[in-house]
Amino acid sequence: MTVDLDKYAKPGKGYYIALGLEGSANKLGVGVIKHNLGQLSTTNRAEVLSNIRDTYITPPGEGFLPRDTARHHRNWVVRVIKKALIEAKIKGTDIDCICFTQGPGMGAPLQSVVVAARTLAQLWDLPLVGVNHCVGHIEMGREITGADNPVVLYVSGGNTQVIAYSKQRYRIFGETLDIAIGNCLDRFARTLKIPNEPAPGYNIEQMAKKGKHLVNLPYTVKGMDLSMSGILAHVEGLAKDMFGKQNKKLVDVESGEPITAEDLCFSLQEILFSMLVEITERAIAHVNSNQVLIVGGVGSNERLQEMMKLMIQDRKNGQIYATDERFCIDNGIMIAHAGLLGYRTGQTNELWNTICTQRFRTDEVFVKWRDD
Amino acid sequence: MTLIPTAEYTAPDVPEGRKFYPGDGEHTTYGHTTQISDVVIKAGGEDRDRPSEAKDTPLGHLRAKLTTIQDQVNVFLTERMKQENLKLSGKEEEDIERRILDDGVDEDDVE
Repeated sequence: MTVDLDKYAKPGKGYYIALGLEGSANKLGVGVIKHNLGQLSTTNRAEVLSNIRDTYITPPGEGFLPRDTARHHRNWVVRVIKKALIEAKIKGTDIDCICFTQGPGMGAPLQSVVVAARTLAQLWDLPLVGVNHCVGHIEMGREITGADNPVVLYVSGGNTQVIAYSKQRYRIFGETLDIAIGNCLDRFARTLKIPNEPAPGYNIEQMAKKGKHLVNLPYTVKGMDLSMSGILAHVEGLAKDMFGKQNKKLVDVESGEPITAEDLCFSLQEILFSMLVEITERAIAHVNSNQVLIVGGVGSNERLQEMMKLMIQDRKNGQIYATDERFCIDNGIMIAHAGLLGYRTGQTNELWNTICTQRFRTDEVFVKWRDD
Repeated sequence: MTLIPTAEYTAPDVPEGRKFYPGDGEHTTYGHTTQISDVVIKAGGEDRDRPSEAKDTPLGHLRAKLTTIQDQVNVFLTERMKQENLKLSGKEEEDIERRILDDGVDEDDVE
């Protein structure tokens, strides 16, 4: 059975347009998406009209504090929305619904952005649609790549989950027991004082390409879950020994060559990504799938994609799907897309029900727009 | 057209309420309670996220006056939080004093 996505279509209008606002972490994103009537398919794809992003960047060695991140979003949101509308060549009155990230994420930045969403909804008399950030990543990844029913690896600064769809829920098969992978990489970047621009994870990836010695680090897969805080503490300890007051020289056991900061970045990536590949492969075996979709900011890491590809190629008709940084890294268009799917099945939020929440698990969302 | 924002605060312990008006004077969109954290500036960061300046229009003036009100509300609420904390810490001190005076005997232990 197919879900009727046009039950709430406006008479005489052949398409829908949604504005999406994202601000759950340090990226402020605004996107405008268009769906034509009918099921989304290879011949009826969602159309990205605009996808604007502005990132709050901190000095090297510093993370982003909720207060300053919220301030960034507050002070840029109007300008970014205007830019998105101009690029999409639309007016407020052309829009069907305003979609916003309701969680999970950092409280203060989420709060800043929802105020903008509420204001626009009242200004233009439009319904609001609260969107789960993780579901936004999944739906946009599926739409862009054409992956039909993949096992999803969701890896970002705040989340690390292996997800598979079953009976109108995105079920979590495995996840981090402590910190997220992006958080682990970002914090190590801070230890090494690697710049936060364009992104700490991207800079680690570039340094890792120059690393050639694998340093022994803990490997902590626990069933379907994984733990990364101990690995971070270990590698941070090594970095402090090497570059702190002790100025300790570490050498590679086999070659006798000195260990460098690049080697530490390389080793950290190799160990963490191996753990991710292991739990993803196990999830694939559980649900008997042969597709993997990688979403979230860390998903744009080419080494992770390469390692995942090696694993999936060993499976019959195995396919890997990933998107580029426009859709992997937090953005407004994914919120617009997932929100519009909700809107098309009658899922809207009354004003009183638009409170954001820092904790909003992926499997709490009723995926009304799928029934496969 | 002049648009003047106001705000009103009420709470069980402030039954008379508290009203905020922007008042006369120069209003800007650069509030003193909504500036970037010192920690960012000390770490060598620069403030690239200043709010845009208010335009010389009724809505622009409203934005600037609203920032003044926001500052007033932030100062008022911060002061209230400080008072609450003081009250709480006072209680804790009293509690420690009681425990010292009672020589480690908790009320729960008294039959």
